[in-house]
Order: sequence, then structure tokens, then C-alpha cells
Amino acid sequence: MAATEGFKRHGAHSYVATFDETEKEVILNLVEQIIELLAERVDHGHEDPLAAMVGITSHDSPPEDEVLHRLLPNAYADDVDAAEFRRYTESTLRGKKQAHAMSIRMLLKSSPEGDVELDHAGANDWLGGLNDIRLALGVRLKIENNNYEHLELLSPDDPLRGVYAVYSWLGWLQETLLTALMDEISE
Amino acid sequence: MAKLADALEEQIQAIFSGDTPWVTIVWDDPVNLQSYVTYVFMELFGYSKAKATELMMQVHNEGKAIVSTGSREEMEHDVARLHEYGLWATLQRGDQI
Repeated sequence: MAATEGFKRHGAHSYVATFDETEKEVILNLVEQIIELLAERVDHGHEDPLAAMVGITSHDSPPEDEVLHRLLPNAYADDVDAAEFRRYTESTLRGKKQAHAMSIRMLLKSSPEGDVELDHAGANDWLGGLNDIRLALGVRLKIENNNYEHLELLSPDDPLRGVYAVYSWLGWLQETLLTALMDEISE
Repeated sequence: MAKLADALEEQIQAIFSGDTPWVTIVWDDPVNLQSYVTYVFMELFGYSKAKATELMMQVHNEGKAIVSTGSREEMEHDVARLHEYGLWATLQRGDQI
């Protein structure tokens, strides 16, 4: 099967792509890692059940894990305000990010041929979900200040080289979906 | 007590004068694609492509841009939605930039 050509517009508010087995597995593997990472942040039995019901968590400090910190950033420069905001909103944010990742997983898993068709809301889920993967990989690849030189110069047997290839490919895939969406908006 | 009254009066004045003292700031991030940032501004704020592109370029060139202004509650809502889409956003009082 040929490698994917990315997303294309298919009529009004419909965006399609076909992925081969390897591509499907790569994306599935990554979204599952995101889902697991976000789940690790959930408290284990320390929650006040009533507080948990309305979305308040005991988390008021940012995650120590660098990737989680990038996915769940502070909303205020001030630590006290940031902690307060986090306590009331972090679990909702985690839930939304998990929903984006799960939307990608569900569509890929329910498509044995690798065909994916997105409506507008689905496209937004995929954009957000793919972006979270890129943010996570970006932290691991130490992409800072638009400096890619250290990555272009990786030796062929460096495991990060493969990670960088996936990171770049996901950026390209995201771009094809954005082009399809923008194309529709400008019409 | 006098200090509290002053702060309260300032807030009440801000409400009645239509002042909007809070802002949402988006910070530059080397991972997020330029086209993605533009799209998110259009999608979340209903900005035209021209305005969204201008803001994205400001983030890219100057390191940050004010993308919305309003009450503190409104800005908290905007920041939460920007975080949902992975943009690096914070809010603060407009007079403390």
C-alpha cells in the first residue's frame, strides 16, 4: 500500500486521508502514549469525591514531567494565581486532551483499510491531538528557539533521528489538514 | 480597610466605565506550526484570516501578542481554550504588561 498523501478536502466540511499499516501503527502508538501520560496525572484515591465530581482536583502545582508540563501549562505568571486556576480547570483540560487523542484512536481502530474521514469537529480533534503529540516529541527532541541544526546533524544510528523523522512527518500531516480547512474557509 | 475600599472602587469603576483590564497573551513556541496558530485564532475567536495571520506573525516576530481583551473570567475562558489546542497562553491585567 502506498504511503499516505495526507488529508484532502472531500466535498463540504469533509476531509479524508488514507494511512498504510505502518503509518496507522505509528499514530496509534503515539496517541496511546499521550492518553497514558495524561491518565498518570489523575489522582489515585486522594480526591474529595464531591470536589472531583465538579472537576476540582488536588493538583495545584504544575506537573514535574516536562512533557506533561508543556501539555498542561500554567495560565498565570504568578504562582498563586496559577495554582488556583489549575485546581479548578486542569482536570477539564486533561479530559479535553484525552478526548482529542481518543478521537484519533477510535477512527484509526475502526478503519481496517486505513481510511479516515473527518467532519469539521473531527478535524479540530485531530489537529489538537496531532499537535499534542508534536509538543510531546518536541520536548523530548529539545526543540527550542527554532533551532533544528542539532537534529539535522544526528548520526544515522541515533534513535532520536527516527523520533525527529516522525515529528517532521506529523507536522507535514497536520499541514495538509490545515491546507484543506483553510482552502474551504477562503472559498 | 481604606486600601480594600480603594481596590473595590477601582474594580467597580472598571466595570462601569467599560474598561477591560485583562488580556490574553499567546507566547511564541517553536513547535506549533504558523498555519496552525493562525487557524486556532480564526476558529476560537472568529478572527478573519488577515487578522489571525497578523497576530500569528506578531507572536512569531516579537515573542508574544495580545490576542484578546475582556474581563478576567472571559480571559480565563480564552486561555483554557487555547491550552486545549496546545497554544502557550497566559492571562494578566492589562495595566501590568
